[in-house]
Amino acid sequence: MNDGESRNDTYPRATREEMIERFGRDLVNDFDLDDPRFNDQFNETLNYMVRKCPVAHSQVGRGYYVLTTQDDVRAAAQNWKTFSAAKGYMPNRPDGIPYLIPEESDPPLHTRWRHKLNPHLSPKVCAAMDQPVRNDVNELIDRFIEKGECEFISEFGALLPGWAFFKNVLGVPLEDLPALVNGVEEGTFAPDLDERARHFSGVFDYLEKHLKWRSTQPARGDLIDTILAGVTYDDGTEAPWEHKVSVLVDLTFGGIATTTFVMASALHHLATHRDQLQLLLDDPSLIENAVEEYARYFPPVVALGRTTTCDVEVAGTQIKEGEFVMLGYAYASRDPRHMDEPEKIDVRRQGIPHSTFGVGPHRCIGSNLARVELRATLEEWLKRIPDFHVKEGTAPTYVTGYLRSMRSLHLVW
Amino acid sequence: MKVHIDEVNCSGHGRCAKYAPNVFRLNDEDGYNADRGQTIEVPAGEEANAKLGVKSCPERAITIVED
Repeated sequence: MNDGESRNDTYPRATREEMIERFGRDLVNDFDLDDPRFNDQFNETLNYMVRKCPVAHSQVGRGYYVLTTQDDVRAAAQNWKTFSAAKGYMPNRPDGIPYLIPEESDPPLHTRWRHKLNPHLSPKVCAAMDQPVRNDVNELIDRFIEKGECEFISEFGALLPGWAFFKNVLGVPLEDLPALVNGVEEGTFAPDLDERARHFSGVFDYLEKHLKWRSTQPARGDLIDTILAGVTYDDGTEAPWEHKVSVLVDLTFGGIATTTFVMASALHHLATHRDQLQLLLDDPSLIENAVEEYARYFPPVVALGRTTTCDVEVAGTQIKEGEFVMLGYAYASRDPRHMDEPEKIDVRRQGIPHSTFGVGPHRCIGSNLARVELRATLEEWLKRIPDFHVKEGTAPTYVTGYLRSMRSLHLVW
Repeated sequence: MKVHIDEVNCSGHGRCAKYAPNVFRLNDEDGYNADRGQTIEVPAGEEANAKLGVKSCPERAITIVED
């Protein structure tokens, strides 16, 4: 595992007194992703836990573990035989929603689908979406530039990833986007688990209807047609209809719910750090690498879960078979054992080994498209609105669980 | 300099080819490293880029087998 870049930094384990004083709870034995203090002290908690809590446990609901170091997260993410995705990625998963494929499945079923889906989101295919995405960026900016201000999330951030995905990949009507974005957001963050299930069901129903309609239309050779064509599993059976619906739902969740956070965080960072803004204005060629650094530092996915298929030990903690274990991607991306000053945003950082797009066979299938969206957003925004600030008297608001999302960001120029 | 690309752990992040496009080739169709499972020669003068490509792989799927 040692790549020559690893540092031998060792940190003393967290003490109960210190954790209660700084974070109001024992993070090692009584962690809670949904704790409002985790939302408020997000960066501080990540930086602390990645150093001092390699394994945390939560007593919420059925309970779950969280792994935080880069080496442990990577090892578990790659070891799908021991850390299975087939029981879902959400902690205390709401009852009654079907498992998402391929995300909530293991090889070989997972592999069959990824082989078919990957070509629709390859670097080459996504590079061809660059110009259409830039056009969308400019169309959105046109709507509010004369106003001199915008609420970035509702007027841009929540729309662009949906436009990019719906127009270029799915071909779903744009007017249905707000309801779908809301369904995914509430399905993820609603405090009540039944409510989460209800919102997710709405998304399933909508997308199933769309898939059914497309099955009556002439083929377009797009992603939807690939899903409709399906795959043959290793036992010779064909993927059933409900698996196809599940694939479409899985892609939609990923396509509209995550990139928003990175672009909003990046613009907030630039609005509040004039030197950083000037750096990118003076040398826009830094933006491509800046996208990588912003993705590392502003992770929309805090952690995704696996279920152990046998007893296993991680960093001295014994974990029994059948336990739910979260892979702390957001923590692993700022592990000081693998990079200098991880708590600092440095757009010149080279060779950033972050895990914002996940690690292992479940690597975010939309990572190439997300990069296109982020780069186009930053490049076009800085060209048209090079001088912008956070509106006086406002501050961005966040919500955090196993995902992290920004709810509002008021910008003025 | 020679590098080996792990056949199983390459998951298509594409970082290697971003930092060292003259060393690492991506498969056009799926974007995974085109030389998965192989050991390849690093062209002279590309050593530093190759090392960045190795470092940036979130999977640690590329190893330097001969410096």
